[in-house]
Amino acid sequence: MTLARPSDQLTAGAHQRRRSAAREGRAPGRTPIGYLFVSLYALLTLAFGIAPAVYSVVLAFTTADGGFAGFDNFVKVVTDFRFWPAVEHVVAYLVIWLIGLLVFVVALALIVHALRVRWASTSLRFIYYLPGALAGASSVLLWLFVLDPTASPVGGLLRAMGFNSFVQVIQPGNLPVIFAVIAFWTGAGGWIVIMYGALNNISTEVIEAARIDGANAVQIAWSIQLPMLRKWIAYMGVMSLAAGTQLFVEPQLLSQASNAIVPNDYSLNQLAYQYAFQQNDFNGAAAISLLLLVVALLLSWVFVTRGGLFERE
Amino acid sequence: MVGIHTVVRSRRRSVLAVSALGAATALLALTGCSTGGSSANGSYGFPEAKQDTSSTITVWVDADRQAAAKAFEKAHPDTKIKVVTYDGSANGSNSFRTKIQLFDRAGSGWPDVVFSSQNNDASWASQKTNGKQAFAAVLDKGLVPKDTLSNFTPGALNPCTVSGQVYCLRNDLAQVVLWYNKSLMDQLGYTVPTTWEEYQALGQKVAKEHPGYIVGTQGDAWTPEVFMWGSKCEANNITGPASVTVKTDSTECKRAATLLDTLRGDGTVPNVSVFTPEFVKNYTGKVLMMPGPAWYAGAIFNNAQSLNVPAGQLAVAAPLPWKGEDKAVTGNVGGGTWFISSHSKNLKAAEQFAQFVTTADDYQVNVAPGYPAYAPAAQKWIAKQDASKYYATPLQPIVTAASQVWDGWGYGLFSQEAVWAKTMTPAITGGKNIADLLPTWQQAIENQAKVNGYKVN
Amino acid sequence: MTTLSQQRRQRVNLGGWSGRAIGGVILLVFVLFFVIPIVWLLLAVTKSSKALILDNPFALGSWADFTANWNQLFGFQDGAVTTWIGNSALYSVGALVITLLVSIPAGYALALTEFRLRKALLVLTLVVMLIPSTALVLPIFLELNTVGLIGSPLSVILPMSFFPFGVYLTYIYFSTSVPRDLLAAARIDGCSEFQVFTRIALPLAAPIVALVAFFSFVQNWNNFFLPFVMLPSSDGYPVQVGLTSLLASTPAFNPSSAGSDSVQLPTLALATIVSILPVLIVFLFSQRFLVTGMTAGGTKE
Repeated sequence: MTLARPSDQLTAGAHQRRRSAAREGRAPGRTPIGYLFVSLYALLTLAFGIAPAVYSVVLAFTTADGGFAGFDNFVKVVTDFRFWPAVEHVVAYLVIWLIGLLVFVVALALIVHALRVRWASTSLRFIYYLPGALAGASSVLLWLFVLDPTASPVGGLLRAMGFNSFVQVIQPGNLPVIFAVIAFWTGAGGWIVIMYGALNNISTEVIEAARIDGANAVQIAWSIQLPMLRKWIAYMGVMSLAAGTQLFVEPQLLSQASNAIVPNDYSLNQLAYQYAFQQNDFNGAAAISLLLLVVALLLSWVFVTRGGLFERE
Repeated sequence: MVGIHTVVRSRRRSVLAVSALGAATALLALTGCSTGGSSANGSYGFPEAKQDTSSTITVWVDADRQAAAKAFEKAHPDTKIKVVTYDGSANGSNSFRTKIQLFDRAGSGWPDVVFSSQNNDASWASQKTNGKQAFAAVLDKGLVPKDTLSNFTPGALNPCTVSGQVYCLRNDLAQVVLWYNKSLMDQLGYTVPTTWEEYQALGQKVAKEHPGYIVGTQGDAWTPEVFMWGSKCEANNITGPASVTVKTDSTECKRAATLLDTLRGDGTVPNVSVFTPEFVKNYTGKVLMMPGPAWYAGAIFNNAQSLNVPAGQLAVAAPLPWKGEDKAVTGNVGGGTWFISSHSKNLKAAEQFAQFVTTADDYQVNVAPGYPAYAPAAQKWIAKQDASKYYATPLQPIVTAASQVWDGWGYGLFSQEAVWAKTMTPAITGGKNIADLLPTWQQAIENQAKVNGYKVN
Repeated sequence: MTTLSQQRRQRVNLGGWSGRAIGGVILLVFVLFFVIPIVWLLLAVTKSSKALILDNPFALGSWADFTANWNQLFGFQDGAVTTWIGNSALYSVGALVITLLVSIPAGYALALTEFRLRKALLVLTLVVMLIPSTALVLPIFLELNTVGLIGSPLSVILPMSFFPFGVYLTYIYFSTSVPRDLLAAARIDGCSEFQVFTRIALPLAAPIVALVAFFSFVQNWNNFFLPFVMLPSSDGYPVQVGLTSLLASTPAFNPSSAGSDSVQLPTLALATIVSILPVLIVFLFSQRFLVTGMTAGGTKE
């Protein structure tokens, strides 16, 4: 294979594939083997995905006794005094979180991948991933201390920002940023690993060719690596959007750490949980979950179409 | 060729749809299934399951109450129990109610005896939910002997009493008393106040003469239970299983609010929580007085990891009245409860267990860390504490305070502590006065009560 | 895709010194960001509770304090912590095995084979992934209760092995990194579809298998809600659920548990570290597979 320009090679590949498909006379792989391979997965999806989802939808439109409720549950939930504050919280958090995640994960993955030294690359990925192993109850203690200016390892930083006590740090106005920081701290590492793996699969010849042509690292990243990461970034966008709208762990953590100063109905998902298990109202909880789902679907549609998540090259 | 494909395609698609619908209908049908069994009340005042006096009972305890289960096993080796530990429904986890709701829907799996570290579970456990039988067994219609029930400290069973019937046994009390450091007070030349007004004056005096010393804290979620409850503020008057009266604009509430604002302003009752590093760092050796529950002794004062007050310094005084009140009332911060399941197949063993862990000396006097709710055990427990020679004064005021808990503050489904922490603490931190925030507090309590199904008047 | 112009080549090469410095600074800032709390946590297990509060956050504690914390942790509820870790391992590994068996072929099929419901399944999977788990917990509980599985490890393993995230990862990987002409070539050479999968695609999929295995393990290890709902008995608890019992005995998080027997904060820190060690070990192990990228050399004539 001659050293073609990167753009040429991409189009050339597509051309070849189209030719081979035409040669076969039918779409490749259209045999029952596809059904066999997905059968187990389809079974699990039905049992633990579709059936519970349908049940949930049914719950959202019925009353506690099983009668039809129309949109009553939705009205009840939307007029709840905690609903709109929760929406504001989630939106504020989502904006900060999504932008931060997309920008920094890709940037860090690119930089780490560009490192020549093998051990540095491996240990950096390990370091960035480390916090991701901390989930749920384990890290309550951590944040109780890290956010208290009198005992925190970053106490100097907090005091420099004007906070002198724990309650000052967790004032409502600071919470979206705090949660975004916590979520980034625990979530970025995993995505960096995925992006790194994706970068590894870009043919080195393409990059070498570009480098020989005089492109620097930024140009290579912008023109070659980023476009080939399109699907992965779209996936990350969709998953982070979903995770963001379903904000639950971080406010729950801080709620425990602060003894409820950060309320346990801060986010919409927490509100659904309260409906289900504090108020014994599974219908209301299902209604909130359905609303969350619809919003997440609408927003992620943007990523799916722009990122070409369902296309095949 | 194409025709067959289309048929196959649509058949597969409809198979998928039908199976999904079928699964959904099946699940729906499940929820319609009732638990079966008689719904007529048995001799104890609730529908009983078929009894089997030799079956093993399942007991849910938290880590601290495992000792109670062990003590029972030692004292009654012939009664078979299975011990399951869980988080005791602590810190707002609500796990007790969550699991029981799931068992209700499944129609089986209930434990026989449950310990909850919260004191308001009777508000839901005594009620039928969605047509399902109430989880808690009625205790005062014969299941638990009358003299046992009457030997509990007066008022101790209030959290367990709903619509006049008793649904649980109280494990321990958490009455609010006035803790003070006798050596420090003597050293600085102060006398113990006898009313809240004197307490406020003393706080202001300390601020002027010895800044840096404190006479209390108001940064915890249970601040209203210490100060507002003790001032007879009607913020949580639960009048029925689904009704509550909230009035925070009364003189009683305003006087406590002013006290807190004044002393917060001059720094003697700071807005800090006693379980934060900040408290230990800034106020070790500086605590003159502290109105707080009985368990503060072990949690804060006599605890090497917290204030670590040396022996012979800590003293306790009876709760303070407001001027003009002939009898002082006080608040209460906690105290766990034991429930017997109405679905239990071995009520005899369950009752034996519940009665043992709440009344027996083997546990309540010898092992239990908290002030027992059962009066005879409480007397012996206090005597034991007195004999430890840690305290500077006799502990009789704690016993007095136990029966002084004001009954105008109820134990509802929703958490007053959570409302205060969510609404008031951030506002106070932001610089507002509690006296100005009273209407906001009222609105927040009403909102929370309404979403939990209460009618507010 | 524009080609590089002459003018760009003549401009100052940003990939030089200043670009590398910026990159280095970014790396360093984030290293500090990720590492400082972890270092604090590691040091915290060597201190007593009072030292944790009063001493410098980066001061080292003492061996005696560490031993005391260790003993308190593993003595808690007569060694419950060890049981919990064992349970976590059982559930996570069990679910992991099933996940791999199910997800890798499924992702392959979604990416590289054609069947009628392909796009529908993709969309459906995405939709299901977006549903908050609060809504799914009750129906799954009722389902498993009907078949009588509540309380057994399967009630936790089976729902956990439904891992659409992994299927998507596999799908994306196969659709971007395995060239279709490779498979076409294999088919022309006479391989059956099954052989194409096992002989060609699977060996190339080592990185994604490692990735899916890793994420599946971590997600299952950290899953709190599912085991909490499904398991009524404390000896079946995984670490995450057990930790709530530990938390409930810590006065800072449950004031009514205060007493001389209560769990101290550094013990909690130790519990945190012990509960994440297996995850970190699995991470290090699976990292080796991630480094081997797939070479495009398969299509070289």
